[in-house]
Amino acid sequence: MNQEKDTIVDPVAEIRDLCVEIDGRAIVDGVSLRARPGKVTALVGASGSGKSTTGLALLGEYPSGARVTGDVRLAADGLVGYIPQHPAAVLNPARRISALLTDIARPQVRHLPRGRRRGAARERVLHALAEAQLADAETLLRRYPHQLSGGQQQRVVLAQALLLGARVIVADEPTTGQDALTKSRIVDQLAAVAARGIAVVLLSHDLDVVRALGDDVHVMRAGRVVESGPVHRVWLAPRHAWTRELLREQPEFTQQVNSAGTERPVLRVRDLTARHRDGARGTTVVVRTPELDLHPGECLAVVGRSGSGKTTLARCLAGLHRDHDGQVLLDDTALPRSLRNRTRAHLAAVQYVFQDARAAFDEYRPVLDQVARTAVRLRGIDDRAAETEALTTLSILGLPQDLVRRRPGRLSGGELQRAALARALLAQPRVLICDEITSGLDTVTRRGILDTLTALVRDRGNLSLVLITHDLDTAALAHRIAVLEAGELVEQGPAQRILTEPRHPFTSSLVKCTPRLEAGTGR
Amino acid sequence: MSGLRSFVARRLVLGALQTVAVVLLVFALTEALPGDAAVALAGDQPDPARIEAIRAAMNLDRPAWQRLADWAAGLLHGDLGTSLTSGRPVSQYIADGFGATVLLATLTVALLVPVGFGLGVLAARHEGRLVDRLISSVTLAVYAVPEFALGVLLVTVLAIQLGWLPPTAVGYGTDLLGHPAALVLPVLVLLARPVCSLVRLVRAGMIDALAAPYVAQAHRYGVSGARVRYTHALPGALAPTAQQLARTVDWLLCGVIVVEALFVIPGLGTVLLNAVAERDVPVVQGLAVVFGVLTVVLNLGADLVAHRLAPRAGVAA
Amino acid sequence: MRNLRTGRFALGLAVIAVPLGLALLGPVFAGGPGPRAASFTLGDGHWLGTDFVGRDVWRQVSHGGRPVVLTALAATALAYLVALPIGLVSALTHHRRLEELLMRPLDVLLAVPSLLLILLAATVFSPGAVGLALLVALVNVPDAARLVRAAATEAAARPAVEALRMQGETWWRMAVGYVGRSMLRTLAADAGTRLTGVLYLVATAAFLGVGVAPDAADWAVMVDRNRTGLFVQPWAVVVPALLIVTLTMGTNLLFDAALDKGAGRGALARTPESGSTGGTIRRRTVKEVRP
Repeated sequence: MNQEKDTIVDPVAEIRDLCVEIDGRAIVDGVSLRARPGKVTALVGASGSGKSTTGLALLGEYPSGARVTGDVRLAADGLVGYIPQHPAAVLNPARRISALLTDIARPQVRHLPRGRRRGAARERVLHALAEAQLADAETLLRRYPHQLSGGQQQRVVLAQALLLGARVIVADEPTTGQDALTKSRIVDQLAAVAARGIAVVLLSHDLDVVRALGDDVHVMRAGRVVESGPVHRVWLAPRHAWTRELLREQPEFTQQVNSAGTERPVLRVRDLTARHRDGARGTTVVVRTPELDLHPGECLAVVGRSGSGKTTLARCLAGLHRDHDGQVLLDDTALPRSLRNRTRAHLAAVQYVFQDARAAFDEYRPVLDQVARTAVRLRGIDDRAAETEALTTLSILGLPQDLVRRRPGRLSGGELQRAALARALLAQPRVLICDEITSGLDTVTRRGILDTLTALVRDRGNLSLVLITHDLDTAALAHRIAVLEAGELVEQGPAQRILTEPRHPFTSSLVKCTPRLEAGTGR
Repeated sequence: MSGLRSFVARRLVLGALQTVAVVLLVFALTEALPGDAAVALAGDQPDPARIEAIRAAMNLDRPAWQRLADWAAGLLHGDLGTSLTSGRPVSQYIADGFGATVLLATLTVALLVPVGFGLGVLAARHEGRLVDRLISSVTLAVYAVPEFALGVLLVTVLAIQLGWLPPTAVGYGTDLLGHPAALVLPVLVLLARPVCSLVRLVRAGMIDALAAPYVAQAHRYGVSGARVRYTHALPGALAPTAQQLARTVDWLLCGVIVVEALFVIPGLGTVLLNAVAERDVPVVQGLAVVFGVLTVVLNLGADLVAHRLAPRAGVAA
Repeated sequence: MRNLRTGRFALGLAVIAVPLGLALLGPVFAGGPGPRAASFTLGDGHWLGTDFVGRDVWRQVSHGGRPVVLTALAATALAYLVALPIGLVSALTHHRRLEELLMRPLDVLLAVPSLLLILLAATVFSPGAVGLALLVALVNVPDAARLVRAAATEAAARPAVEALRMQGETWWRMAVGYVGRSMLRTLAADAGTRLTGVLYLVATAAFLGVGVAPDAADWAVMVDRNRTGLFVQPWAVVVPALLIVTLTMGTNLLFDAALDKGAGRGALARTPESGSTGGTIRRRTVKEVRP
């Protein structure tokens, strides 16, 4: 694409020297950007870097009590649409889909005679839904938001913006926490939006998506833009140290070729069938796993889309989900189904780290106390020794002493996740199950946690890791990958093999969209 | 919508069970009379003839389960038994008091809903400003006050000091509609607590809804303020409100009893209080069953409305 | 904001000070019963006049608050004494049967209007003050137990509890140390509303003659019995009625203000960085920033 030609096109929206201050603290500090028709302008940064505040400024919205200086200019008919991270949040749970859409269309048909307005408005709504690629729009309009799938909800929100006739669309973290297939679908959607000549402002910490979609990128940190330019330039030759840090390659587990397969598995799953109780209506089977082995010192990634049953499988291993048949064998002894029947040695051997670290800590007790309890309860050492050991482990994981003596409320999400790892490690586990522990975190924090995990597997010879993830990039770090789809274990094998020559059609569809995301959409 | 149908079915079963349980409970309570029930019921003048009469009237010499069976069978046919003191059928007592009570309740509910929603939305719109603070403080304060204390004060000021309204409904009999002035104070007092509760609920629900992202989205896309308030925010605020309506039903029933006593209105509450004072067990039982069933039915209605408004909240029956 | 809350707190205190002080300290300085005068007179050494049987109204008022307040407090405490174990056990047990056994009977009790249940019992038992406290407690148990159960179930479903289980913590430490601790705020809020509800029931029952002697020194009874003299001697009715009004209002205002304070503090502790992106967004007038 032609660099000089781009700058000639008038921007439909422009921000100049925007500063947003709350209580004297600058959240956005001198940010400038231009959104041009048909182009995707990406704002990249960790959470709290000010990209959301900047994006919402285009909509004329600011945090309450904020002091704002600077310029936000929109083209004459500059209508701005908004696609939030969770489309369900902006859909009214108490109204049918048609309610807001009709209200958006109403002013557009005001010039018509009264009798024809209703029909014309409906026509426009149906047209917008069709443009957002929603099939069967007639029935859809009568539904309530909770009756739609996540993808449909996202399209309805997009249809709202299209119906409005937006010249600029702000997309706030549209792919965060989504699996690869959903991600690529959203990327296609946004690319189609840009192709219609709409300026897209993409706020994201997902670098793959930015690279696939973005034309211009602004890298933000602590309220300032530290670097901006065309995406390919920033990726190839980042100028600012923070950008380089952001783009750094992911760590990899040291591939061990010899041991896997020859050594006795530490954990074996045989004919596992897990069920969920559906209230009065009986039970549904959510996971079926005929056979799955975990070798000592190995990292196994369990990959699947949301709802594929991967978390339930992990919970069965940990004894947190007891409604299942089949066996989970530690060495050669079958583990009891429920935690209550497991001995302390069993508990210590298989530990679990939760997705939501903040919810997994007691908010009223200092983090250190909670971490140290593992050693007290599961290994029977006394309080003083446990505290010393906890402090050591925590500091190895990068958490200083004064921080961990505070309550969980004072720690960030990434810090709490490290503390949760420390809490599990104090049991000296042989199997550590990590359930989506990086999914809520931004790129840099996520990479830090993955670095830590890599180091753990490397340094603690006998520790085996089960990584539950929807993200193939994370899974690529593992030695072996098991793929779950709709509760069935469809494929398992060495990571290299799964990623390069997948055998099951679902795995290949999963693998196919990841490199496409990484390579960009070819624009 | 099989989900809705199964919810209704489950809720109906629960309602039926509750009704049966209320009947059993009422019967069991009177069974629990200490010592010889007939002697206990005869009260201050244990006249042997009267004791014998009570024993005969309540069939006390037959086993409890037979009496329960008879009584329950009677209930199914609308036969609630006969009074111990007057020998008149209980259903006649209920028929006498029904009109006045239904009139009171209807008037109250007819005013409750518009006033409650109106003030609630008004307060939410002006959150934190003078109007809101005024409405919030007054509703918070009045909401806890027993009807009898509030009623007596209102009577003292409005009826006795100022002479604007009649202090009681004495002398009007059941023809209350012919004397609307006599109804003003009772309805006002009866309204006080439920209105305050409803206003607070609607206000809280509206404030939540107005702060919700979906309302921001509607504003963003140019929908007018009033339209956002009444067609987007209010439906969202209704669901939690409807679920709390059940408690208001309970308050109304309690309030009716007190207000009728206070203003000497010959309704069901007065009949009940007289029967309690005379220990006229069959009348109390009959009224308790009527009130109990009414509560079950109204609760059922409130739950169904709540379910209809919030299809997402899978309210477990 | 802080000032507003403190203001409301002070208002609550001011409203409740007189009735509560009178209820607690009244009997100490009121002294023994004086000679009886004619009923419903004013003056003659009785600065609030005399009541329906010729007793001094001021003396009756001084004695009449204590039964109301004590019965209400006892009933609230009793209700929780029963509701807490029922709610906690049914939330934390793994046996569905036990849970049903504990909760289903309460659902039935919930279907009966509270005042009706009290009147029903009064027909049969003629309860005293203790009986009234027990009855009021009983009608509050179902609702309180459901609330405890809901709060406990919510707390017990958090990952924090599963994390404690992974650490091999004991049942007691989880139930009391974590679940109980997390429920405190909900319980405190509920205790406030429940106490006002109980006050309402106790006073109303007394007004209807349940659980009290017909000539008892009790504010609610005074309102009822002295109503016949409302035209000649309104003080005998107005003063106790006002005291009941201020007592219930004050309790409600005080708890509301106190809980609001607590909530403010709690929220602050939980989100130290609330200023960042996720905070509440309000629409501002666009003109200010778009020249």
